[in-house]
Parts: sequence; structure tokens; C-alpha cells
Amino acid sequence: MKKISKRLLALLTASVMVCSLAACGDKDKEKPADDTTPTSTNTESTPTGTDEAAADSYTLNLALADFPTNWSPHQQQTDTDASSMLYYMEAPLYTFDFNDTMDGYAMIPGAAVGEPVEVTQDYIGQYGLEEGAESRAWKITLRDDLMWEDGTPITAQDYVTSAELLLNPIAHNHRADGLYANSLVLVNAKNFAYQGQYGQSNMISQDYADEEYIAVEDITVGEDGYFTIDGKDILLNIHTTGNWGQNGLDEYYGAYPELFVNNDVDWFAEILEPSADEDGYAKVNQEVYEGLRNLIAGLNGMSLADYEAAQGDYAFREWEEFCYYGENYPEMSFDEVGIFALSDHEFVIVLEKPLKGFDLRYALTSSWLVNEELYKQCESVVDGVYQNSYGTSAETTISYGPYKLVSFQADKQYVLERNDNFYGIVDGQYQTTRIQYDCVGEASTRLEMFLSGQLDSYGLTAEDMETYQSSDYTYYTTSDSTFFVALNPDFNALKAAQEALGANYNKTILTVKEFREALSFALDRSAFALAAQPTCNPAFGVYSSLIISDPEEGTTYRSNEEAKWVLAEFWGVKDDIGDGKMYADVDEAIESITGYNLEMAKQRFNEAYDIAIAEGLMDEDDIIEIKIGLPNNTSQTYAKGYEFLVNCYTEAVVGTSLEGKLTFSKDDTLGNGFADALRANQVDLLFFVGWTGSALDPYNLMTAYIQPNYQYDPSWDTTTDMLTINLNGTDYTASCMDWTNCINGVPINITAADGTVSTFSAGSSDGVPEERFTILAALEGAILRNYDMIPLVDDSSAGLKGMQIQYYSEEYIFGVGRNGNQGVQYLTYNYTDAEWEEYVASQGGTLNYN
Amino acid sequence: MFKYVLKRIALMFFVLFVILTMCFVLVKLLPVIDANQFGKDMNLIKQRREALGYNKPILVQYGIFLKRSLLGGDWGISEALYRGQDVWSVFVSKIPATLMVNIYSMIFSVPLGLLLGIYAALKKNKWQDYVISTAIMVCISVPSYVYALLVQYLLCFKLKWFPLQMNSGTDWFTLPMFLSVVPAVLSLGFGSISSLARYTRAELSEVLTSDFMLLARTKGLTRAQATVRHALRNSMVPVFPIILGEFVGILSGSLIIEKIFGIPGVGQLYVNSITALDYNFFMLLSAFYTLIGLTAGIVVDISYGFIDPRIRMGER
Repeated sequence: MKKISKRLLALLTASVMVCSLAACGDKDKEKPADDTTPTSTNTESTPTGTDEAAADSYTLNLALADFPTNWSPHQQQTDTDASSMLYYMEAPLYTFDFNDTMDGYAMIPGAAVGEPVEVTQDYIGQYGLEEGAESRAWKITLRDDLMWEDGTPITAQDYVTSAELLLNPIAHNHRADGLYANSLVLVNAKNFAYQGQYGQSNMISQDYADEEYIAVEDITVGEDGYFTIDGKDILLNIHTTGNWGQNGLDEYYGAYPELFVNNDVDWFAEILEPSADEDGYAKVNQEVYEGLRNLIAGLNGMSLADYEAAQGDYAFREWEEFCYYGENYPEMSFDEVGIFALSDHEFVIVLEKPLKGFDLRYALTSSWLVNEELYKQCESVVDGVYQNSYGTSAETTISYGPYKLVSFQADKQYVLERNDNFYGIVDGQYQTTRIQYDCVGEASTRLEMFLSGQLDSYGLTAEDMETYQSSDYTYYTTSDSTFFVALNPDFNALKAAQEALGANYNKTILTVKEFREALSFALDRSAFALAAQPTCNPAFGVYSSLIISDPEEGTTYRSNEEAKWVLAEFWGVKDDIGDGKMYADVDEAIESITGYNLEMAKQRFNEAYDIAIAEGLMDEDDIIEIKIGLPNNTSQTYAKGYEFLVNCYTEAVVGTSLEGKLTFSKDDTLGNGFADALRANQVDLLFFVGWTGSALDPYNLMTAYIQPNYQYDPSWDTTTDMLTINLNGTDYTASCMDWTNCINGVPINITAADGTVSTFSAGSSDGVPEERFTILAALEGAILRNYDMIPLVDDSSAGLKGMQIQYYSEEYIFGVGRNGNQGVQYLTYNYTDAEWEEYVASQGGTLNYN
Repeated sequence: MFKYVLKRIALMFFVLFVILTMCFVLVKLLPVIDANQFGKDMNLIKQRREALGYNKPILVQYGIFLKRSLLGGDWGISEALYRGQDVWSVFVSKIPATLMVNIYSMIFSVPLGLLLGIYAALKKNKWQDYVISTAIMVCISVPSYVYALLVQYLLCFKLKWFPLQMNSGTDWFTLPMFLSVVPAVLSLGFGSISSLARYTRAELSEVLTSDFMLLARTKGLTRAQATVRHALRNSMVPVFPIILGEFVGILSGSLIIEKIFGIPGVGQLYVNSITALDYNFFMLLSAFYTLIGLTAGIVVDISYGFIDPRIRMGER
């Protein structure tokens, strides 16, 4: 028995080995074509059909490094979720298309018929609409051939029900704010979503508008001693300072505990902290109020009396910027929310604030529509927690757009097929019958698949650029993002950091503007791009050439004369423009800008050194240490960028007073919080940082650079930094913050040169587009001149186009790209799938894209 | 023996409990940073977190976890990696791909590794031994992702013997699926083959020179009989735990190999769950791998007794 077992074991082992080896050895004997092309290999989940079907099929093969995980219109969070999945399966009410001349976009109706019709006057007295209201209620008519992929018609009520599901107060849907947080604000949408909860909101918004401040005498003091106004609690949060500043109250308490003692009471430790809830909120009473006002004065280095004398009325209301309103949102019916159906094909939206024209249609390019029946099947409530799996698999997904999801394997492959029930399937559009996405993590593998004809496009990496940058198949696409070198000139933070390093270290020279200016001039942006990210282009302004300033016409910000002159002036070529001068016009002058001037950089380094010595910021034997933040130690882009910056600046100070004194260190462990590291004073310099996501509204995007909640460098106090702008021949002065508020529709006080104060607003609905643009350009100049956000490169990508496909437009156009909706609307094919397979085989299985 | 096993199992659950407690507390202590998003109502994110109970004291949350997950078997919903999906279902859907590739790899590498090791030991200090030992050293020194990229480039891209990526679908036991994982199996196998061959050669070489081997030969056994019946069995005492360890390893997958060959397995899940702070996923994976690791330890310890009867567990 024992012998038999051993022999059996030996036999089994030998068999397994033979099988294993045979699996390798047999390969070149029977090499079916399918084996080399996983895209056409038959498996359970990826049926490819017969050769006959392949003759009429046009498959777009694409690859992603990361797959979508949740493409529910109510939950999706990432660009991959949306653009690589959701957008194929939805039809927004309004959508982008090429304009007639193919050189720009046009906004056209999608699921809607015609333009929205204003019906504000029909609803005066309802939904809070008062006489005189305009652009607040709009009727939208749906196409009568709008349907789900299974042929079920979509009605106006579906949109209303979907809005109710989106705003479901127990769901806390990630996309719920789409109906109240941006330009499209449905009446009571937020109240419905928040109902039953105790919510906090800033007492003074980032607009800092006068009417937001409350007179102390209007505040009610309850029997318990706490302040309320109109039934709302007035709160402080011990971890923040509201919209007053960046640091938390607890941080100030740690640094300056003596400022928190008022009338011998440590109001932070004895009153505020013990009463704070788990999120840090605590109610304000008289002692806290008085203590807070004393704290503000103390932080400004004055007694309260001196501060009141210096600041006037503002000293009595500034404390409110620290505060929050706390209120219970009452239960309410969805009938009170500003959306309802008029008929099967008509519904009305009622808005809290006016919206019209392009802005309204653009706001309706995002869809909240879900299939109620399927959505409800995906709902569950476990231990009181609402969950919904809608849009997480092929089974939980239903389309009403040009493509439908037929299979989905997480982190492996998904396939979309043309939805013949989509109204837009007409001749000349949507030739693609099937879209297959594969999850391919490695760029080298994606390239090999592309060269083997298994993918129809490939995003070039820095390493590929040398080989393919001049290929006929390479297409460059500029994005709307501009990346910056962001500097931290916060004196207190720098001082604390340099003291932590020990004696003879200096960081506070970063507060000297000439030093930051030198860092800008010493930066060869073209060389930087070549070293770190070759697909990017050097940047010289805050906004890239893709930012649209007039979305109705599609005019880009950078094409405007005033925006051009901002750059010409900032980069010092303004005086060289004109007849007989170096540059014939401003365009030629801008073309000449490189941003790199080593001589000027050395001069500024010397000036900065002299200033720093004179002001006692540094000693002659000090070593300057600049800590650069990186998200990780694996990204080649950041690693090469860091190396470039260190070398570039080290060489730039040679021959200056700072030679041998400028050193660098790095923190490459910042991870996802990388962009916040500068604000948290963890590092002194970040690069490849900026803002994106508002390409059609540079006026709103300006707030990201000006308002302290968003600024990379909140130490730039934009409420006190005054800017003078010439409007219609008169110079007016206001703070950078006020000008920013003004171009976003908030009335501000501006002071003319003769001291006259007037109220001014240049929001989108005020009909002063030229003045609004002038202010925007002036603000861009102010940001550039502050030298805490130094433009580095404009984001751009490069990709190879496969030989099987043909682009509709050679130029990349905002909103429509090169092929219209989702990159497939007008995409055409040079080969059917069957022909393509034959063609690739005829080329030996490897294509030449050089 | 039975008492010993029971004792080890009881100890295993205690260790599991301690490790899970530590994992839970530590992951909950990691800071949650919600970077400001332009135009986003950040309260929605806070409200969701509140509804999920993430703002409750950690001990309260741990109590809920013990009751719901460890005792109730409900591991919850993914809140970051696979939002809205049941973590157990996602995990179970991804395990087969990892298992398949790694089991094929074991089937390929264990016999080959043992054979090479045995052959090298039998030919010790001859040219065959030198060739095998040199190859082993090269294979051990080079990381598996280098083989992976080489295998992919040469066999898949240049020679086109195999697909560049593993096939999609769940038909795990078909020939096309098998062929599509051969490159990954080869890449994973080189390291295991080298490791097993090296240990086997070292152990067997030592055993072959033992006195009892001389005795076996003198009592009339042929060299092959003596080697198979006595030397191999004795040399397997340290080698077998290595093979068992490899089996445990197959459940955790290979982060790099799975990424290169498009294997939709669990290799990257654990690291990603920490990076994304997906608490439910992290705790499920922590529990699973800890349990597997602890079980493997017991199995390995017990296996010693079966391989070598002289080793008795639990004996005083």
C-alpha cells in the first residue's frame, strides 16, 4: 500500500510537470489568431460574435489604468466614473456640439426640445418668487422619443422623481449639491436635503458683504445666556476660525494662551472647549463674545480700545467672521422644492437665484435622471444607514444615452454597445458599434497593445516623447489647468520653521518679494517641462489658453486684448511694442516671452539678500533652507521636477550674494493631502499645483486664488491688498477681495481717485461684460505681481491615434474635443473590425507609428 | 496531540482578536483629510460620515464592528474603493483570479523546483550543479517584475505566443484562459522554483552525507531507493513549510504581477484599502489574511509531526 501511494504520487507529479511544460511548448504549434488578441478571445462575458458580425462592427478599444467603480448620477465622484462610463449612457438636457464653422462649440438641446422658456411671471407668489423677479422659473420640454434602453419612455415626472431621490435626506448623495451648491439652485433643494438635521453654515460668507453682518443689538440672548438670531444659534468652532482666517482657535490658544484670558477667565479652556460638541462647535455667550473681540485685537498687537479706534465699526463686527449659524432644518415636503412636472413632456424648475442664457443651459448639461424602478431595487438600509448600489454593475445600470453597458468585470474589462433606442443614432453619427475598455495598469503594456492593434489610442508618457513626439499620429491636447510653483511667504510660519531647524538657518527670506521674483526669473519653464513632463507647455499667466471668458460666443480669455496686455506688462515687454520697436504688436511680444532671465534673477537675488540683511531677516552666515513638498517618492514627474528645481536654483545663485547659501530639502510623504501642505505650513514650496474645473467661468475661478479658504498662500491678505483699476477713464480702488466679489455679482464699494465712494457690481447679470473683463485681467496681474503663485506649465497631454480610426476635427475644441459627444459621436473608421484584424496581421502583428 | 491542536486554535482566535483590535484602532486613528473641492458642499461628506457612525467614539465603533461583522458576518459596504458595493461580494469575486494564477504557478514551480534541487544535490560539485546553482542565484537576485516585463515583451509582444493580458470573464478553466495566464505563471514561478531548488539542494546534500544514508546503502538499498525512501523524506522537514508558506502566499496575490498582466485579483486591495481609508474593506482583509496566516502556522507546525515522526507536538 505504501509503495503504491508513492508511485501514484510520483506519477501525478510527473503528469503535472509534463502538463505545465506542454502548455509552454505547444504554443507555437497551434497559434490561433485569437490568442494574440485578447480583445477578440471568446469568453463568457465578452462575446465577440461571428466573422460575419465583425464585418459590420466597429469596435473602439480603449484602456484605463483605473476603472470606474460607481457611475450612478447621484454618487459618482471621479472623472473616470463620469467620462469613461456614465456620460456614454446619459443624454443631458443640453449638450455641446461643433459650431457651423467647426472651429468652436455650440450649445444645443439634447434631451430637451428648444431653449428653456421663462415662466417666472406664472409663479409669482409661489416658491418665494416676488413681483419683479426675473430668470427664476424655467419650463423645459422633453423630446417625445426620449427613452430608456429597454424602450420605456422617459417622462417629465421621471426628472422630478429623480431630483427627489437625489436630494433624499437620508442618502447624503455625493451629487446632491448639484441642485443647490453652484449656479443652478433649486428653491428649497438644500432645505429638503438637510431636513431633520442640525446644520452649520458660516455666519459671514466669503463674499464678506456688508448686509451679512449683524448688529450686536439685533442679537437675542436666551435664558441660558447663549446668543441666537432669528431662531438660529450662533456658534464657534474650536478647530477653525470660520472665514476669518486659516488657523484653528485651538492653534491660536496653543500659541498665545494669554490672549484668551479676559476678566481673569480663560474663556477658551473654561467655557468654550468644555461645551464643544464632537465636531468642535460650541455656542457663543457674552463672555465668549467679549473674549473673542479681545482676541482679535490681541492678534493684531493692540488693546481692544486701540483696535476699535483704528478699525472703527469693523472692530465691532469682525468677530462674526469667526462664527457659524446653527439651525435645525425642519421636515418638509418635496412639493416645496422648485421642480415639478406640468405634463408628460414638460417640467418647471424654480430657482433661488436668477440664471439664464448659456449659464442656465450649461448648468443643465449635468443630468440627475435615474430609473426609479431599478434605483429602488438597489436601495437598502442597514442599521439605519442608507445604501444604494445603482450604477455599480451591468445589472444595476440602465442607459438612455448613445451606448448601453452589456458587461462589466471589476478591474478587468467592460463593454458598451450602441443603444439603438437613443434618439441621436442617425446616419453619420455614432458609427462605433461597440466600445471595449480594458484595465491595463502599466503604460508599457498599453503601448505594446496599441502597437499590436489592440487599442485605438495611447496616452504618451514622458518616456515615449522622444520616439513619438513628431509622429503623424501624435495629437496634443491642452487642458484648462495651469500648474504653478506655490510659495509660502507666511512670516510667522517661516520663522517657526527656521527656529525648529536651529541656529544659522533661514527661511524668512521668502517673505521678501524680490526673492520670490528671482525664483520666477530663474525658472526656465521650457526646460522644466522637457525634464519633468514633456507634454506640457510653459505657462506665463494664471489662465491657460483654453479658459473661456465669454461662453456664449466661445471666446477665450487669452485671446482678449486686455488679457494679452497683462502678460506683456508683467513680463516687461510692454514698452517694446509698436512701430519701429522690437515687436510689431502685442501678440508678437507675447510670443517672445520665455519667463527666463538669469541676469534679472541674479540681480533680484542680490537685492533680496540686501533687503533681508537690512531688515534683520537673516544674518550673513545663514543658510537658506527651502523645503519642497512632493506627494510621493514614486512619481517620476515630481522626482524629475524636484531635481530640476534644485539644480536650476542652485546654479542661478552662483555669482550672487546667495551663492552657497541656498539649499533645499524635500518631504515626499505628503500623499493625498499634498496640495494642502503649503497651507498647513508643512513645506515652503510646492510645484505642479493649481486649480481646475471652471474653464467656462474664470470669474468664479478667480475666487480660488483670492479667497482664503482656497488660496495656497492664505497669508496674502486680499481684503487689505488694494488694487486700482481704470474703468471708463476713471481710476477706482478696492481690495482684491472686493473686486473678486464684484465680478461674481456682489455689490461692493469702490473709491474713485477724488475720494468719492460708490457702489458697483459687475456680475454676469449686470450687463457690463467689458468692465467685468477689465477687472478680471487686473486681478490676474495682481496675482502675478504677488509672486506667491508663479505660473509654471499649462497642462497638456499627447496621445497616439490608432490607424483604424479617423478623427472628425484635427483641432481639439473645448466641450467637443475632436469627435463630439464622448469622443465617439463623429468618430469614423478606416477599417471594420474584420478588416482591421487582417490589416494588423498583414503588418506582421506590429504596427509602425513612428 | 488533539489537546495541543485545540490549545493552538484557541490561542489563534485570541491572537486574531488582538490583531483585529489593533488594526481597527490604528486605521481609525489615521487622519481623514477632505481637501477643499471647488464648489462642493463639503457638509454632504461630513453628513455621510456622521450617518455611517464614523464620528462615534472608536470603542463604540469597535463594538458595532464586533457585533455586525465578526459575529454577524456582515462586513458592510465599501465607502471608498468600490463605493456602494458589498465588500465581501467584491472580495469573493476577485479571489478566483488570484487563486487560479497562483495555483497554476505552484503546480508549475513546486515539482520543477524540487526536481532541480534534487538533481543539483545528486550532482553536487559537478558542472550540472554549477549550472543550476548559478541559474538559481540569478533568478533569486532579480525581482519578479523584471521577469514579468521580459516575459511580456519577448513571449507576448515580440513572439506573440501569448496574449499581453489575461483574458476577461469568469470561465477560469478553459484553454484560452489558461494560455492567457501562462506569462503571469512563468513570471511568478521563477522565484519559487529558485527558492525551492536552493533549499532542497542544501538540505538533500546534507542528508545524503549522513551516517544513516551509509547504513541504508550498506543494508543493500540502491542509491535511488535510499535517496527516495530516506534522504528525500528527511530533507523535506524544512522544505515542506516553505511550500505551505507559498500556498498561503497565493491568497494574497502579487501586486506587481497582477498589475502587469491585468489579473483582476486581490493583490492591490489591501494597500489600496489603507490608502483610500476604506475601513470595511481594510477590516475584512485584515481578518482574512490574519486568519489565513495563523491557520497556516498551525498547519505547518502540525505537519512537522507527519513528515518526521520523531517530532511530536504537545509532548513534554
